[in-house]
Amino acid sequence: MPAPRPPAAEALGARLPPLVVAADRVAATVRAGVHGRRRPGQGDAFWQFRPFAQGDAVNRIDWRQSARGDRLYVRETESEAAQTIGLWRATGPGMGWRGAASRPTKRERAELLLLALASLLLRGGERVRLLGAGRTLAGRGALERLAEDLGASEGALDDPSLSRHSRIVLFGDFWAPLPEWQARLSGFAARGLRGTLVQVIDPAEESLPYAGRIRFEGLDGEAPELLPRVEGVRPAYAARVAAHRAGLHDLARMAGCTLLTHHTDQPPEAALLALWLALAEAAR
Amino acid sequence: MLSLGPLAFAAPWVLVALVGLPVLFWLLRVTPPSPRRQSFPVLLLLRGLVAAETTPARTPWWLLLLRIVVAALVIIGLARPVWGPGAGAGGPGPLLLVVDDGWASAPDWAERIAVAQGALEAASREARRVALFPTAPTEAAEPPHPGPLLPAEEARARLAALRPKPWAADHAAAATALAEWRGSNALGDGALSSLWVTTGLAGDGGFDTLATALRRAGPLTLARAEDHPIRLLLAPEAEPERLILHIAQTPEPRPGEAVVLARTIDGRTLARAVIPLEAGATTGQAALDLPIELRNQVTRLDLQDTAGAGGVVLLDERFRRRPVGLIAGDEAGADAELLGDVFWLDRALSPFVELRRGSIETLLSRPLALLILADRPLTPGREQQAVADWVEKGGTLLRFAGPRLAEAADPLLPVPLRAGERALGSALSWEQPQHLAAFPEGSPFAGLPVPEEVLVERQVLAEPVAGLAERTWARLADGTPLVTAENRGRGRIVLVHVTANAAWSNLPLSGLYVDLLRRVIGLSAGVAGVQGGQPLPPLEVLDGFGRLGLPGAAAAAVAGEAIASAAPGPRSPPGWYGAAGEGAERRALNLSAGVPAPVLAALPPGVPVRPIGGVPAEADLGPWLLAMALLLLVLDMLLSLRLRGFLTLRAASLALLLALTPAMAQAEPPEAVVLAQATRLAYVLTGDPTVDEVSRQGLVGLSDFVNRRTAAALAEPVGLVPGRDDLSFFPLIYWPVLPSAQALDAMGAEAVNAFFRNGGIILFDTRDEGSGEGTWPGAPAALRRLTRDLTVPPLAPIADDHVLRRAFYLLPEMPGRFAGGQVWAARDQDRANDSVSPVIIGGHDWAAAWAVDGRGQNPYATIPGGARQRTLAYRFGTNLVMYALTGNYKGDQVHVPAILERLGN
Repeated sequence: MPAPRPPAAEALGARLPPLVVAADRVAATVRAGVHGRRRPGQGDAFWQFRPFAQGDAVNRIDWRQSARGDRLYVRETESEAAQTIGLWRATGPGMGWRGAASRPTKRERAELLLLALASLLLRGGERVRLLGAGRTLAGRGALERLAEDLGASEGALDDPSLSRHSRIVLFGDFWAPLPEWQARLSGFAARGLRGTLVQVIDPAEESLPYAGRIRFEGLDGEAPELLPRVEGVRPAYAARVAAHRAGLHDLARMAGCTLLTHHTDQPPEAALLALWLALAEAAR
Repeated sequence: MLSLGPLAFAAPWVLVALVGLPVLFWLLRVTPPSPRRQSFPVLLLLRGLVAAETTPARTPWWLLLLRIVVAALVIIGLARPVWGPGAGAGGPGPLLLVVDDGWASAPDWAERIAVAQGALEAASREARRVALFPTAPTEAAEPPHPGPLLPAEEARARLAALRPKPWAADHAAAATALAEWRGSNALGDGALSSLWVTTGLAGDGGFDTLATALRRAGPLTLARAEDHPIRLLLAPEAEPERLILHIAQTPEPRPGEAVVLARTIDGRTLARAVIPLEAGATTGQAALDLPIELRNQVTRLDLQDTAGAGGVVLLDERFRRRPVGLIAGDEAGADAELLGDVFWLDRALSPFVELRRGSIETLLSRPLALLILADRPLTPGREQQAVADWVEKGGTLLRFAGPRLAEAADPLLPVPLRAGERALGSALSWEQPQHLAAFPEGSPFAGLPVPEEVLVERQVLAEPVAGLAERTWARLADGTPLVTAENRGRGRIVLVHVTANAAWSNLPLSGLYVDLLRRVIGLSAGVAGVQGGQPLPPLEVLDGFGRLGLPGAAAAAVAGEAIASAAPGPRSPPGWYGAAGEGAERRALNLSAGVPAPVLAALPPGVPVRPIGGVPAEADLGPWLLAMALLLLVLDMLLSLRLRGFLTLRAASLALLLALTPAMAQAEPPEAVVLAQATRLAYVLTGDPTVDEVSRQGLVGLSDFVNRRTAAALAEPVGLVPGRDDLSFFPLIYWPVLPSAQALDAMGAEAVNAFFRNGGIILFDTRDEGSGEGTWPGAPAALRRLTRDLTVPPLAPIADDHVLRRAFYLLPEMPGRFAGGQVWAARDQDRANDSVSPVIIGGHDWAAAWAVDGRGQNPYATIPGGARQRTLAYRFGTNLVMYALTGNYKGDQVHVPAILERLGN
């Protein structure tokens, strides 16, 4: 499954203003970045000129400014900091499924959203990291390298080297039994990792739009299930789906995460906007 | 045999199986369809779901219907249904199938055969034996006779081989033959039944005779075309400005029209005339107007939409107009009433020929059959030369004597003349005016009556030279020549020894004058007129459908004088008779001249008559029904697959399309398609297997090299023969010139020239350079022979800056197996074809240098040798291929220094 090409994701991301996630609680993870801290410090952006004081290094004198008068001036830059966002998307045979040829597979859509979000974050100066990939990316060309990581990634969720208090965004269908997810999310919560879960599902998975006598076959080698009359079980199925969704929602809340749902027949922009709102809200 | 209206079943007991269909319906109905299969990732949530209600799954009703229809189709198909079964002739015994195959049967021949075949099919089903009995004399000039009694299957082949004849059916002879045949086969009265597919023409009572004979033999059924008349195009009448066309036909209740096309010898249609035919009319006529020059080209009249010899009239020379030029000795008074030089000529000729007047130059500038000079001497020099040339090319020069000619004789006379004229019966002469003698045998005038009143008072005299008698066409009673003639080249000069007016004789006042002129005109146009009873062999004869073809073995020569009245038959089929060759005279033997106008015979009472045409031939529906069932089965399979979720709609339609077009999918692409699919080199097959193999190996090696080193992709080379194979697929052809090579034939030269014109390149290799003259002595001479008919542009040695030296590699020399010789190409200045040379000529035996054998090695050593020379040879080949593929593209490099210099400034 090839990852969606970065340009597509970038084009999608370009339609929203650069997403800037407030870097709260950044003291421990601070590194040079592009979030202005409204005070002098390490950074690239000009902040102010101040008179030369004893103890300042000579190479910090701004000679051009100093030459205008009799006093020596030192150029100060604004202190900047960035936050690392951990990204993940589920793999697995179920993700490669689609209910109709006109729709993308869940995995295609998840990867597109992931890259679009990364594009926004990178333009906002944040640092991104694919869980399990082992490297944190920032700056120019990061999106392409992220896409490379995505292509090589097998969907590992564990990333011990992710710094504490990072944010995580997980894309997947989250159809696995709830106890599994409870274990994983509590692991994240224990490390102070908070974030957003985006459930990418095909509409057919929710509405069960089949009728008649159908033998359902799993994608992961499960035993097939023969339903003599599918339309008869549709309400019961819808109830099960709703219960699963509610359980997942509770799990996420307990772990300090938000749960968003995205259907592959809807435009990806809607999901990206919702994601942006969720990230910004969490940051406030 | 079970018949339901036009539908019949050959194996009706199979239909019993239809009873089983309801059972099948019930079985299909109770069997639930296989479940559809659907992949689904959220199987976990589906586990153990139980529907509120379960109803048994049913096969959809339309699928059930489809399957029932398939079963019904198979059953009905196996019952061998036949649509419109040809009703056999009822009655006992073997079937006698009488088929009229005279000229009148040709227009609706296919329908006639269809009726006969229907009867054969019926006889085949009833296992009756059949005898086929065509009623026209055969091509081998045998009288009509019934064939042997055969099973219907064997008779079918004989029927298919039967063709209408371009002569009339002979019913009387057929009746006689029938009696003999019945005797020899011991078939008594009523022992057989017969079907007579007839034209219904009375034919002098022959129809009644045969009908009576057939009825005596057993039950008779007639099949006759009722809806269209039998038409016969008659010989037209020639009038001065037009042809009057005549047609005869059997009466028709509705008014109609017949369309006649006038065609040339090569089949072009020059004119079209419509003959209106009133209801019940048996004849019709119309005039065909044509410009003179066009009318002379008409050799054939065709009835449109009527295939058959009866609709064709061939027009021979007699129908051609011959323009006649007329010049008088003294133009001033030439047309004076009664006295003028050409007054009587004009009166005699203008009703039936086109007369032209003017100077000799003007007259000869247009096609002219006959030039008449009335007492007009020809001035020596240009005038004489012009006339002499025209006569040599086939013109007929008719001269009349007179005072001027008597004084100044010129060479354009059939006999030398004595100076002055001879006066008979004048005051100073003892002699009396002379009558004419009878025309000698062999003269074109032979047979014309000699009127008593013609008297010749004065004439010019011929010198008594040898051969005068043979040149004399008419004499006076005392034996002196009156008309002499001599063949000159393909033409002829005729001299009438008297004047064209009544001054020297009263010949112009007699009717004989007109006849003589017409005979002379009839002989003109350079045709050696056939006279008397000379037999004329058949040249081309019409077949029953009115198409010209080679005469059969039985066709014999017909006497020239008998042709107009000869009855068409196997010995004298209608068509062209005469000597073969350009300009030889042809005479036409027309069918309509020898057969009576078509008249329908009264039908014998009490005989069932079946119409011909409009009845579709019987069709065996069984295979079609089975094929349809198969098709529906395929559809059923696709639908089942779709119901089970295996197949999307698009895939289904694709599969259906594939199932429907197996023929298209399996069609073998023709050779041209294969050749056109890839670029490839070619070599000319010389006929010497060794040389051809070297050429092939060489081009294989070169193609490999080029494929490895360049972007060009060359396929396997092919051998070809110019003129036999299409050259247009190849950019470059390698042509090894053998010393024994012969000049190209016309087709080959034309093919190669066309190849040159379209931008192809040929590399001629004499293979003798650098090896001394010893290897292939005579190759240069062979090259000259080969290229004699080719449009080879002026050649020059390939210059140092020639594109060929830089098309891919930069080449200082162009060696092959040998080195050091000169290579020639078209001069660079030649702007034709973008200054790409169509020929490259050299003698380095390149193919041997390029050759790679089966083990990938070079079998021929280079001379003087070295790997470098072989590399250069390959490089030359690469340049050559690039040159052939890209033309003078690399020639632009020549200007690169100049362009750089300009940019620098």
